[in-house]
Amino acid sequence: MITIDMLCYYSKLRYMNAMEKFTYAMLTLLFCVVSRSLVLAILVLIVNGILTVNKGGIPFSRYRHYLTIPLAFLILSTLAVIVNISRTPLDAFAFQIGSYYLTGSYASLYKGIQMILTALASVSCLYFLSFNTPMTDILSVLKKLHCPDLLVELMLLIYRYIFLLLDISFSISVSQDCRLGNRDFRTSMKSFGAMASVLLIRAMAKSGALYDAMEARCYDGRLLVLDEQYSPKSREIFWIAFFEILLLILTIWSKLR
Amino acid sequence: MNETPILKAENLYYTYDNEKSHSLNGFSLEISQGKKVAFMGANGSGKSTFFLCCNGINRPYKGTLYYRGKPYDYSRKGLLELRSKVGIIFQDPDSQLFSASVYQEISFGILNLGVSAEEAQKEVEQVIEKLEITPFRHKPTHALSGGQKKQVSIADILVMHPDIIILDEPAAALDPKHTVLVNKIVNQLTQDGITVLMSTHDVNYALEWADEIVLLHKGQVLMHGSPLDVFTNKEMLEQTNLEQPAVLQLFESLCKKGILDASLPLPRNLSTLEGYIENIHTISK
Repeated sequence: MITIDMLCYYSKLRYMNAMEKFTYAMLTLLFCVVSRSLVLAILVLIVNGILTVNKGGIPFSRYRHYLTIPLAFLILSTLAVIVNISRTPLDAFAFQIGSYYLTGSYASLYKGIQMILTALASVSCLYFLSFNTPMTDILSVLKKLHCPDLLVELMLLIYRYIFLLLDISFSISVSQDCRLGNRDFRTSMKSFGAMASVLLIRAMAKSGALYDAMEARCYDGRLLVLDEQYSPKSREIFWIAFFEILLLILTIWSKLR
Repeated sequence: MNETPILKAENLYYTYDNEKSHSLNGFSLEISQGKKVAFMGANGSGKSTFFLCCNGINRPYKGTLYYRGKPYDYSRKGLLELRSKVGIIFQDPDSQLFSASVYQEISFGILNLGVSAEEAQKEVEQVIEKLEITPFRHKPTHALSGGQKKQVSIADILVMHPDIIILDEPAAALDPKHTVLVNKIVNQLTQDGITVLMSTHDVNYALEWADEIVLLHKGQVLMHGSPLDVFTNKEMLEQTNLEQPAVLQLFESLCKKGILDASLPLPRNLSTLEGYIENIHTISK
């Protein structure tokens, strides 16, 4: 199983109403992006951290690990905003290289930190959703939001097939390893190509077999399935509403400032 | 009483490669309601092809299939009606399970029958309870073991309340514990009066479980009869790459050695044979 997928199935917040979690994550993400406020971003990071680690039971080390993945990209891309090469030094820092300076201003430094924190807070909203909500629940929310059936059904099948094809590719890869198929770069490339072609053929065969199996159960062009419903709790709705109103006030305050 | 067979195949021909070779080659068979029928034969003998024909997935290019005396109607409506009565459980559950949620997966078939969501919910809950799926109902299908996947694939069909259930090698790739569990479920089905057609290579299980055995060879029915008739016909067994069940081999050997009386009825399971041996022991005392 893919780790993120496994985590959401073991999360203590898994059985919380999916629409509540989706609404919370999306509204919070929206406020993060709209406000670009440092205070709001820090608040969201802390709250999402508490919700995911303390309430959801996701190990802190895992959560930290997943947050550092975008952090590395963010720092690298923000460097372009913070660091300038100029003939005149700016106010925050300046390193002389010949007749040029590697320099940055307090304003750009602030902008860079603001960008990093806003992006991290936004990512934490998505992590909250993906660490605590199984894909099938997210798809049922999308269905309720009148997302086109074709799209939702495609996502459902793709999600299922990711795991099937991963299993097949893993067993092919093991069997190639057993026969020294990845001995050097040349054989690795050859083995990878062979695996890709076999995977394509298997995917086609599996899709044919799946279609037959669905037809055998009276499939008539629409994937009709029941979703397990976890009823929303008024206490949870109250706290979500409270937090979102707080974020709204912070957003207005940051814009009026 | 001459009852109409629930399923009848009359001289079926089916090919996967433009008539170069025939997977079904003049296949004829009658199956009565409520019977437990084991289909046996070497790989490629036509078992799975026939099963797909029964469900209307494969359409024979020659010959006719009848359900309760009526020839198959291959119109969209006719096929939907047929598939609501004849359910098939595929050999590889990964080819059958399309959803990551066990609950969604099981609800698919019954909702396709046009049942209301409330009723479908009730039925799904019942089948989950009946097939002991509750402990793993919240797991995603890709995290289930082979045996659990098989349980879910049986539930998929059972929830639709078919008259006939076809199981294509239900114990394939299962460990002994899950094989026992699947066999227990199959026994439940037959107790409920459902006609069960099952392909298997397990001669011991077939002898004990089945009412009838169908031996297939090169797309034709080689022999159709009671388990004891079929499994005592060594010539037919040899043609289909099958061995005699262990219990019959042991009985024959004990009779040859004079330990057991050859006039005793043929045992269908080890406990019957054990009873015979126990009786000798008691008499000799």
